[in-house]
Amino acid sequence: MLSYILRRLLLVVPTLLGITLLVFFVMALSPGGTAADLMRGEAGMRPEERKARQEYLQKRYGLDKPLPAQYLRWLNSVSPVGMKESGTGFPSGWRIGLKTPDLGESFALHRPVGGLILERLPITLLLNLASLPLAYAIAIYTGIKAARHRGELVDVVSGTVLLALWSIPVIWAGVLLQGYLTNAEYLRWFPTTGLHDLQADAMTFLPSWGPRGFERGWLLDTLWHLVLPVACLSYGSIAFLSKISRGAILDTISSDYVRTARAKGVSERVVLYVHVFRNSLLPLITVLAHLLPALLAGSVVVETIFGLPGMGRLVVEAVNNRDRELVLSTTLVAGVLGLLSYLLADIGYAIADPRVSYE
Amino acid sequence: MSSQALQSPGFPPADASVADAPVADAMPRSFARQAFADTFGNWRARAGAMWIVVLAFLAVFAPFIASSHPYLAKVNGVWFSPLLEHLMPVDVVLVLVAVGALVLLPMRRLTWGQKAGLLLWGLALALPLVSWRVIYYRGWAPGKESVGPGFAYALLGLAALVDAVVLAWVPIRLRLSGKAKIVLVAVAAALTALLIRYPVDPPQTIVYERYRTLQQEGKVEWMLPAPVPFSPSDRLRDQPELRLTEPWWSAAANSPAREHRHWLGTEVNGADVLSRMIHASRIALAIGFISTGIAVVIGVVIGGIMGYFVGKVDILGMRLVEIFEAIPTLFLLITFVAFFGRNLYMMMAIIGLVSWTGHARFIRAEFLRLRNQDFVQAAIAGGLPLRSVLFRHMLPNGITPVLVAASFGVASAILAEATLSFLGLGLVDEPSWGQMLEQARTLGKFTWWIALFPGLAIFLTVFAYNLVGESFRDAIDPRIRKE
Repeated sequence: MLSYILRRLLLVVPTLLGITLLVFFVMALSPGGTAADLMRGEAGMRPEERKARQEYLQKRYGLDKPLPAQYLRWLNSVSPVGMKESGTGFPSGWRIGLKTPDLGESFALHRPVGGLILERLPITLLLNLASLPLAYAIAIYTGIKAARHRGELVDVVSGTVLLALWSIPVIWAGVLLQGYLTNAEYLRWFPTTGLHDLQADAMTFLPSWGPRGFERGWLLDTLWHLVLPVACLSYGSIAFLSKISRGAILDTISSDYVRTARAKGVSERVVLYVHVFRNSLLPLITVLAHLLPALLAGSVVVETIFGLPGMGRLVVEAVNNRDRELVLSTTLVAGVLGLLSYLLADIGYAIADPRVSYE
Repeated sequence: MSSQALQSPGFPPADASVADAPVADAMPRSFARQAFADTFGNWRARAGAMWIVVLAFLAVFAPFIASSHPYLAKVNGVWFSPLLEHLMPVDVVLVLVAVGALVLLPMRRLTWGQKAGLLLWGLALALPLVSWRVIYYRGWAPGKESVGPGFAYALLGLAALVDAVVLAWVPIRLRLSGKAKIVLVAVAAALTALLIRYPVDPPQTIVYERYRTLQQEGKVEWMLPAPVPFSPSDRLRDQPELRLTEPWWSAAANSPAREHRHWLGTEVNGADVLSRMIHASRIALAIGFISTGIAVVIGVVIGGIMGYFVGKVDILGMRLVEIFEAIPTLFLLITFVAFFGRNLYMMMAIIGLVSWTGHARFIRAEFLRLRNQDFVQAAIAGGLPLRSVLFRHMLPNGITPVLVAASFGVASAILAEATLSFLGLGLVDEPSWGQMLEQARTLGKFTWWIALFPGLAIFLTVFAYNLVGESFRDAIDPRIRKE
């Protein structure tokens, strides 16, 4: 098992390199290449300023070097292992070791990209981690229900409804939910945008009874703000996972050991949730790998609609500002996260399925 | 239909001596026919297919359904047809292809290959005839504004070359009968004569409010307007008070919106929402089909090579697949869109370029299964070239899972375009459902008609493709068919 995990980890390296290569060359091969977006800010400059800036950019990105060399120096600066002194042109010595990855600086916000992402990433992760367990719990329940009543009206109708749910575009659901449920004209049940109330800083952490009656406190306020975004993010995965779990449970429910368990007189509940469910987990684990990147992408839309300052909104802002470093880095981070989820799913699979030998 | 489809595998095969008899229902059907019958045997898939047909109809005839230009008008005693005068080359080509397809489809004497070939040939004939004036006099080229004239003209040259090859090669390849040849030449000559006599040459400046002004001045003696009398870019410059109005049937009794039949209201700039939605179906379908086509081609080539060669090639290929799958598609799309232009063609190419991995996986799995089978070994032993082994012998036997994936792929391509447009990273001027939804988001106040209807169109289309795709998958799934 350990050797399998180690080999799986080693296989990550070429993929990771490939991701950096892809991201870099998308940018480098675009019309105008690396320099096009950088030179945008030069329109109103005096000649000496422009010269100084160009020299700085050339030094920073090695623009006078051929593309492969540019790629290598970019790779060196973003990787945690590499040659030190990477900020100024090509390194003079070959001192290789651990260093802090340098993702560059945002041109629009004039801040280091690494810090920006670290600031925004937790919100995206919070959204995703809140919606995943929710989606799994609901999906497993509906999946079991549908599988038990297979072929009956409930199953057929729920199948179609789930497919419809899966087909509802997040952009539509988000706009409608926001329009109808946060609007004084219709129902004002939830806050329109943001992660906290304006007065959230003055709130106590937990709900309490204050002089003005019930105060919801910071925690409840945040949860209240999260309801609609999490709902938007999870309904698609609920539908998708329900289909998967229905199929998985149908595959196991007709197997011999389930019949044996029933024949022994084990209660239907135990049969379903212990015998059947545990053995239908594998497909649910496998799709986790595909689900996480999809959720990350979904959070771009959800964060944009509900004004949450997460990584998804960061990337949209970055594209609108033509902020090159920021776009590259967010895509890189998203790719690394996606890769990690693949790794996680593979290892989880190896743990959950003792039948498969990986030697 | 469904009961028949269920029975037919159990039917005894028809008498083999009647070899010349046309394929009747009593014969055991081919796999493709059976799968087709099973797919559309349930009402859900049929409903989905119906919506796609409606959408295709709207897309092809959009300028005839929603246009500010009336079909026919009589002004100062002169009859003229503004709608026909304003048709763009692409409108004419679409209508010609649709009519051609409708005429060819029921012809039983032609094989499917011949039908497709004839349609392709007609397209190759019509394209230059329809577009040469716009290209020659106005210097139009695909995507000239965003990718630069050099690339655009190179693309145009390439297109011309392909067109010439198709024109010359398809008639030789088709092996038509003598009578069919005569009919073909006659139709082609008639089409050419018609398009030369009435060239497609839309005016460069379009004044949409012209007809409304003329009508107000009482100069119009007779007029036959289009069913939805607003063009998608008709921003009602003569009626600024009608910007952002509700649908007329829900507006208050005394509001100006009551007098003008904007069935689904107007958007920020004053354009009619229904008209923009009808025209947007064109972009949705085009993006769906073309980018999925690109994805399938890339996926089939890479997946086929992986599955056929196994070993090192396979490991390398799977890493490539993993790279593209690890980066969330939307992030990849956003990155591409950020650095490349934002026009329709680029969008199709980009969406195709990021969504081929699923197809590659399917084809790889199929080819891994097929490569050891006797007929493939025989083809290799027979000394056939690799191209022939891969694409003539293996591909037809392994394409079905990809077709299923493709119908889901069309849905996700449409969704991808809508999402990009929604984020403000999509097309700028052309109407698109996602872009209309974006208006609903950025407006500051909730305008339910802009939020509801375009989103509904996206949903119905995506749902329709998913319904068909799911039914198709169930139809070819051996585990389900067995039961």
